[in-house]
Amino acid sequence: MFTDLNVFQVAHAMAAHAGHRQALVSRNVANADTPGYTVRDIEPFASAFETDSGGFAAKGSRPGHFGQSSSLGGLWAEITPEAPADPNGNSVSVEEELFKAVEVKRQHDRAVAIYRSSLNILRTSLGRS
Amino acid sequence: MMNEFSKALSVSSSALRAQATRLRHVAENISNADTPGYRRKTVPFRTTTEIDGPPGLVTTGRVHLDRSDLTAIYDPSHPMADETGHYQGSNVDLMIEIADAREAQRSYEANMKMFDQARQMSSSLLDLLRK
Repeated sequence: MFTDLNVFQVAHAMAAHAGHRQALVSRNVANADTPGYTVRDIEPFASAFETDSGGFAAKGSRPGHFGQSSSLGGLWAEITPEAPADPNGNSVSVEEELFKAVEVKRQHDRAVAIYRSSLNILRTSLGRS
Repeated sequence: MMNEFSKALSVSSSALRAQATRLRHVAENISNADTPGYRRKTVPFRTTTEIDGPPGLVTTGRVHLDRSDLTAIYDPSHPMADETGHYQGSNVDLMIEIADAREAQRSYEANMKMFDQARQMSSSLLDLLRK
């Protein structure tokens, strides 16, 4: 678990994914009344992580690291979900976006909690409290 | 990472500003509903692209005047009445304006929620630095 501090990298990627998705959801909500705007999203963290890592191999966490993978590098494929558009060409559903926002918040909280608890374990193992 | 949050915050605040502008024009329309010859104002929303600053922000375009016909009001004693006894009122429909105001309010609230959430997420991240 702590030989290569993998758990921190995964927690970091999870929080970064949540941050990125939060920016997109904010943009969708902001443009909820803009004519001709199409809703945007990124693929969920779980699927991005699975297709990308194939298990718990060591990964690079920033550009330049050996074996740097996209989900930890902060690049996620942007998708445009199929959604029925309003007569003015806008396909944002505010309800859907608020639901996504809650999902993002929970994911972010989870990532921060994992990071903090791992940090505490590491601190304890070093003999500090 | 922090950059994503500041992006989210600036997008949300641009939308708040746009909705407030829209609400101001609705208020102007409602207060001038009885002004003779007043045409209702509408304000279009637009998404910024890479060309004009950071993408995804909401801006309001130029104010448009509604070109629909003014209502003819029958009042022979009115100083602006013509020979048939009619004068031209405004083309403001109060029901449309109130529906518009309500929609602007709802969107404002949704953006406020997103702003608050981005702020909470970034502060929870900063909490990690505290012991």
